[in-house]
Amino acid sequence: MRSQSQGTKRWIAAAVAVTSVTAVAGCSSDDGGAANGDGGDVVLELWDTDTRPERTANLETLIDMFEAENPGITIEYLGLPTDSYMQKISTAISTNSTPDLLTPKASDISALVAQGALAPLDDMFAAGGWEDKIDPVMVESTRAAAPDGSLYITPATALVDVLYYRADWLEEVGVDVPQTWGDFENAVAAMTDTSSGRFGYTIRGGSGFFPGFMDMVYTRAGIGEIFDADGKATLDDPAIVKAAQEYVDLYKTTTAESDLTADFKVMIAQFSGGGAGTLTHSIGSYPTILEALDPEQVAVTLPYPGENGTQVISQLTTGFGMFASSEHKEAAQKFLEFTMGEEGNSFWAEASGYMPGNTAVADEPWVAESKALAAAAEARSNTSAVPLNVPYYLPEWTSITGTDMLPDWQAVLQGNMTVEDFCAKYATALTEAQKRYEEAMK
Amino acid sequence: MTITATHLGRRARRRSAHWHPYALIAPAALLVAVFLVYPVASVFYYSLQTYNVTMPLYNGFVGFGNFVEIFHDEKFWNSLAFTFKWVVVEIALQFVFGLILALLINQAFKGRGLVRSLVFTPWAVAGILTTTIWLLIYNPTTGVGRYLADMGLIPYGTSLLSGEGTAFWAAVLAELWKGAPFFAILILADLQSVPAELYESAEMDGAGRIRKFLSITWPHIRLAVVIATLLRAVWEFNNVDLLYTLTGGGPAGSTTTLPLYVAQTAIYDRDFGYGSALTVIAFILLIIFTVVYLRMNRFGKDD
Repeated sequence: MRSQSQGTKRWIAAAVAVTSVTAVAGCSSDDGGAANGDGGDVVLELWDTDTRPERTANLETLIDMFEAENPGITIEYLGLPTDSYMQKISTAISTNSTPDLLTPKASDISALVAQGALAPLDDMFAAGGWEDKIDPVMVESTRAAAPDGSLYITPATALVDVLYYRADWLEEVGVDVPQTWGDFENAVAAMTDTSSGRFGYTIRGGSGFFPGFMDMVYTRAGIGEIFDADGKATLDDPAIVKAAQEYVDLYKTTTAESDLTADFKVMIAQFSGGGAGTLTHSIGSYPTILEALDPEQVAVTLPYPGENGTQVISQLTTGFGMFASSEHKEAAQKFLEFTMGEEGNSFWAEASGYMPGNTAVADEPWVAESKALAAAAEARSNTSAVPLNVPYYLPEWTSITGTDMLPDWQAVLQGNMTVEDFCAKYATALTEAQKRYEEAMK
Repeated sequence: MTITATHLGRRARRRSAHWHPYALIAPAALLVAVFLVYPVASVFYYSLQTYNVTMPLYNGFVGFGNFVEIFHDEKFWNSLAFTFKWVVVEIALQFVFGLILALLINQAFKGRGLVRSLVFTPWAVAGILTTTIWLLIYNPTTGVGRYLADMGLIPYGTSLLSGEGTAFWAAVLAELWKGAPFFAILILADLQSVPAELYESAEMDGAGRIRKFLSITWPHIRLAVVIATLLRAVWEFNNVDLLYTLTGGGPAGSTTTLPLYVAQTAIYDRDFGYGSALTVIAFILLIIFTVVYLRMNRFGKDD
């Protein structure tokens, strides 16, 4: 009886051990990732890098439109937090659990290509004759963002950075919509009334400050190149240092002190909520702004030509990409082509407030009716303007202009670091990063 | 034949008796190996590498290169100094306020149950919700600052989170709100085990409030204070969620703790080699602190 009891205990012990091992193994197993469409419908997984509710709704409509035209293909949507989507994607790449489709920005391409995550789209692009249908400037800038010059996202849409003004505030203080940097200075000063909590401008002091810095400083200096022909960063060029000083001088004189930590959500809320009279941001914010303000209350201009007479335009391509590990490439490509085709491109660009990549869509009436897109179209038609040539191919670009620069940028705004020191320090860092990159590429 | 069979049976039982205990501890051992040993070993391994998933061009073995770099890294020293300041200030304030709260709600009064529940509520609130609550409070457009500005007490467009020197105290206050109840819970549990007769006899001997606290209350709650202080010190050292979401380590890096610096290095920059080396240093510092602190307090030994 005793030995039977011991035997039972041993079996229980063995069973517990086996169950636990199985449970642990189960924890680490891949639960399938993208659904499989063997013999049935193909299910594609799409991860979006922006979860603003209005964008999610638009993307779901775009998916519905695609599914209606492509029976047998279903797209499952997953939204990733705007400020941390790359963490989720990096984890998915490391664990081979990537989806089929993604919505990367040109600035993400270098990091994703370095990990071998994205599939090149050049063959699809050539076979579909898209070279003739898509804006060549957008195609070129998308290719330039990849270290190997391939096309990794569809140049479906583009964002252009603009200046938004509270037209009603300008009218109140009797100032016209600015047309030069001098006008801008006067306007933001005139709109500032600290006693009532109204500030003429909202400066981006917090996370993601550098794109805003480039929009206001490189444009004002009239310099579109981050590196000169010798690979030396232009950040410490005297014209840029001067423009940077003028930008920094706006802080606390025409902006709220709390802008020291403002990110884009705070800035848009300040502008839309009556806290600030001017905002530098992309045309993609226009639909969000119009949720709080009437079109008559808003004026939109491009950043003005620099003192050297050069107009610099900051443009960023945004589109759809396909993961190299997708098991449904044919179906995924259908969706990618849908986003560039007239129907899909027209809907997506209009709903998002983006510049359409499809040249036929660019001529549609709604493009001219939007103030933000009209400003972007002006940029496109200005043949003497130069693009802001951002080196997204540089692997260290995001870390230098993000985590490294931010604390020092805030120290500059606080007056604890000079603009000259800031520009010199990071010109050196960028030049060294460019050198490392060139050597590694050899 | 019978002898041989019995002998074999005994040997079989002995063999099975050998694996029996191992089978019993196998699940626990496996869990420890998978969830503790492997991650720690992997961090030590990557600390000796240049490993950035977005820059495979530069990846490779660097020996102690990351540690040498850390030694010269101003951000590391600043974050370490801030971590020390953060832990000391937080623990001191949480202990004082936790003790006061525990002593207050240990008194008999009407509605004590409700007050106790309210006191403990902040501890039950998720970290991200705590941050959201305090972000709204500190928001210059919608928070307390706006009302103070409307009353003419402070200028418009200011926030404690972006003021020079005030971001630290703004973060301290938010974390204190969440952390003090933890001290109160542990101290209150021990306070309730103090026999009332001790206080009665002390009163008969003419002991005042301070004497009663030092001679009766403190010896009873000392161990709870030691363990609460240790746990909170380790948690505050490792605090990432509140600071990450409330201040992001800013402004100008003024609220960046060492673990937050690790998060920025590993998560934002995806520089896992350097991030692992920073983690190894944090790991060693915490082990040293824990051992020294427990020895100093003679934890586990009878007085």
